[in-house]
Amino acid sequence: MGTLLRGRRLRISIAAAALTAAAAIAALGGGALTAASAKAPVARTAAGKTVLHVAYGSTFVFLTPALAVKWWGTVAKEFEATHPNVTVQFEPIPGGYTDIVTKLSLLYRQSSTAPDVAELPAGQMGGWVSSGYLAPLDKFLPTAPWWKQFPQSVKAETTFNGHVYAVDHGENTNALFYNIPMFKKAGIPVPWHPKTWADMISAAQKIHKALPNVWPIWLQGGSAGGTIAIQYNGGNLLQGSTNPTIFDSKTNKWVVDSPGLRETFQFYISLAKGGLQAPVSQLLNPNAVDNVPALVSQQKMAIVVGANFYPEAWVKATCGPCWTAAPKIMGTAYFPTINGQAPGIASALGGWELAIGAHSANQSLAWDFIQTAQQRVNMITADNTGGWVPPAKNYWTDPLYVNYAPPFQAFFAGIMPKAVGEPNTPNFSVWGTGFNNATGAIVQNPNMTVQQAVDVMKSYVTQQLGSNMVETLK
Amino acid sequence: MTEGTVTGSLVSPGLAIPAGRRQDRVRFQRSSIPLLLPATILLVVLFLGPVAYSFYYGFTNLELIGPTATHYQFTGLTNFNQMVSDPIFGQSLYLTAFFVVGSGVIGATGIGLMLAIAMQSSLAVVRILIGALVVVCFMLPPITVAMVWYAASTAGGTLTTLFGSPSSDFLHSFPMVLVGAANTWSLAGLAMLLFAAALRNIPREVVESAELESATAVQRFFRITLPLLKPTILTTVLLMTLLSLANFTIVYIMTAGGPGTETMILPVYSYQQAFQFNHLAYGALIGDAMVLLATVVSFFYVRVSRARV
Repeated sequence: MGTLLRGRRLRISIAAAALTAAAAIAALGGGALTAASAKAPVARTAAGKTVLHVAYGSTFVFLTPALAVKWWGTVAKEFEATHPNVTVQFEPIPGGYTDIVTKLSLLYRQSSTAPDVAELPAGQMGGWVSSGYLAPLDKFLPTAPWWKQFPQSVKAETTFNGHVYAVDHGENTNALFYNIPMFKKAGIPVPWHPKTWADMISAAQKIHKALPNVWPIWLQGGSAGGTIAIQYNGGNLLQGSTNPTIFDSKTNKWVVDSPGLRETFQFYISLAKGGLQAPVSQLLNPNAVDNVPALVSQQKMAIVVGANFYPEAWVKATCGPCWTAAPKIMGTAYFPTINGQAPGIASALGGWELAIGAHSANQSLAWDFIQTAQQRVNMITADNTGGWVPPAKNYWTDPLYVNYAPPFQAFFAGIMPKAVGEPNTPNFSVWGTGFNNATGAIVQNPNMTVQQAVDVMKSYVTQQLGSNMVETLK
Repeated sequence: MTEGTVTGSLVSPGLAIPAGRRQDRVRFQRSSIPLLLPATILLVVLFLGPVAYSFYYGFTNLELIGPTATHYQFTGLTNFNQMVSDPIFGQSLYLTAFFVVGSGVIGATGIGLMLAIAMQSSLAVVRILIGALVVVCFMLPPITVAMVWYAASTAGGTLTTLFGSPSSDFLHSFPMVLVGAANTWSLAGLAMLLFAAALRNIPREVVESAELESATAVQRFFRITLPLLKPTILTTVLLMTLLSLANFTIVYIMTAGGPGTETMILPVYSYQQAFQFNHLAYGALIGDAMVLLATVVSFFYVRVSRARV
């Protein structure tokens, strides 16, 4: 018995010692992790040349991975030609939106891995800035004539407390696509210019009656596509509502109930209840955002709440899929405000930015690289092959951009002055998930009421962020 | 009597046992320390260290990006209190238990056992064919399993066409059932292999003598086969539990935890909190809860398997 107890005590002691050692390692590691990111910038060199470390999304950002490699390669070549003592080293990040954010946030934690230049989504800019990862670019901007061409809405995406932390690379705007032959069959006059949401519902009802096998309106809901899907779908409804406020900057609270949200949910309910929406499987498909250009080309839907990158996907250079007949079959119309009130059209705005690391030892070189990327041909080529509208207004009518996918390019560029960006503070993902949960519930349960949808969103966001972080607008 | 020794007075004079340490107890020899050291170091560095690290992070305000991404602090029980009052965590625990027990313990183990028994008495060509198919299902990467089941259970898929209408959407109508079925489908092959090997080790004489005693097939199964399979059943159930508990890919690809939070099992919720909401510390704490759950389950199974002896 005594031996048994000694043996057991010994095993317990060994286990306790191991756990203590592990805790000590953890404590030391934690300290080391914090300390490393505060160290001085690390200058990287290779074969006697300065290395400029550039990180970008390799599979999600541009329309195809090959186009991303081609564009970044072109910019690097031009940059190295004018900077012979510098070599560009790329950090391509595969995967989707969340993978890019995760990988970049991990790279930024250490000076030795933090990129000098990074391609970041606009939606998370507030988080990057508050982390202390990005260098302010104010001192560089006077040398950038293209910056003066950016509309205020685009500049606002990367400006915090009066300082600019990144420059836009390309923006997405949204509008309505409609199938001209289907509209003609349903007896709806074309070209079609809906002035209110009621006009959209009315057209969808006529389509449903005349062509029962067609999906009348494509408007995605649910959380499968992530919060990025809001910008291409329900976010446009909210922008066109009577109260589009998502984050109240006066109170620093997230809006979980408002006339705008109720109008948005009511529109979703009208579609679901009237049999006017696409099949549930498609709407809740995690790949729905990327699949839409292909679905539109298959002519399954009459009206599409869509983005500028669809036509850029249809051209031969991208073939995502190839649909050269698109200009003859698909018409475009601005997404109207709910009652036709000013500004008359609605569009969410969001894009990708180029930023310099706060701990970069090569900030001037990094800026030179960005300047190369933002030159006319490079910027427009990025926007054509990345599926964006150029942020610089003098390029909206540039033939290099307009003629890439006519007549769609000019149309979507025309939306830029009125497009509005979504909040880019870190908790937008929580608010967005609550919004998606509500729209997903409506998509699946057409008999849901507006109050029930509001309750779904309110309870989720309140529980996640706390009641002191949310509010109701009357 | 002195601890650890045997006195000669209690033993017959014809059997002289030398005094000294007892030979029937496990003894720890100090000479084994350097031999165990490499494995211990690996265990500490690759397992205990990261787990302890994760436990520490769970009690801080660490974010993926945000003001406390680099300058984070120990916050005591703040995250723990949030977890305790988080209804989604409670729902996630329940869904995880349903998923693990339903699809792993009962589903995969049960189907694996039935397949192994059925194949025992089938034709060789059937045994080889079915065995190969089931093993292929097990060998498929989780993402392939998820895509196959997504395609089969949504509108226009095989399941919806066979059992409903082509426009039905089984996945989003019964999400937990379908992700559970996908998990069972992917793990049943492993269970089948384990049971097939165990069944081959059951002595034929025992079965024959039961047949001679006019025992029916059902009686032979419950009175002979099942009791002799107990160790394998316990091992298989433990494996299925741990594999199902750690399952992330199948659920994330098929439903991303949705619709809403209907399939938000713990691994998916941990991922959502850490990498979508940037609440790395809270995500780590949810992961810690999973480690504790796995530890409790493993401890329970080890005790049950020891109690059998």
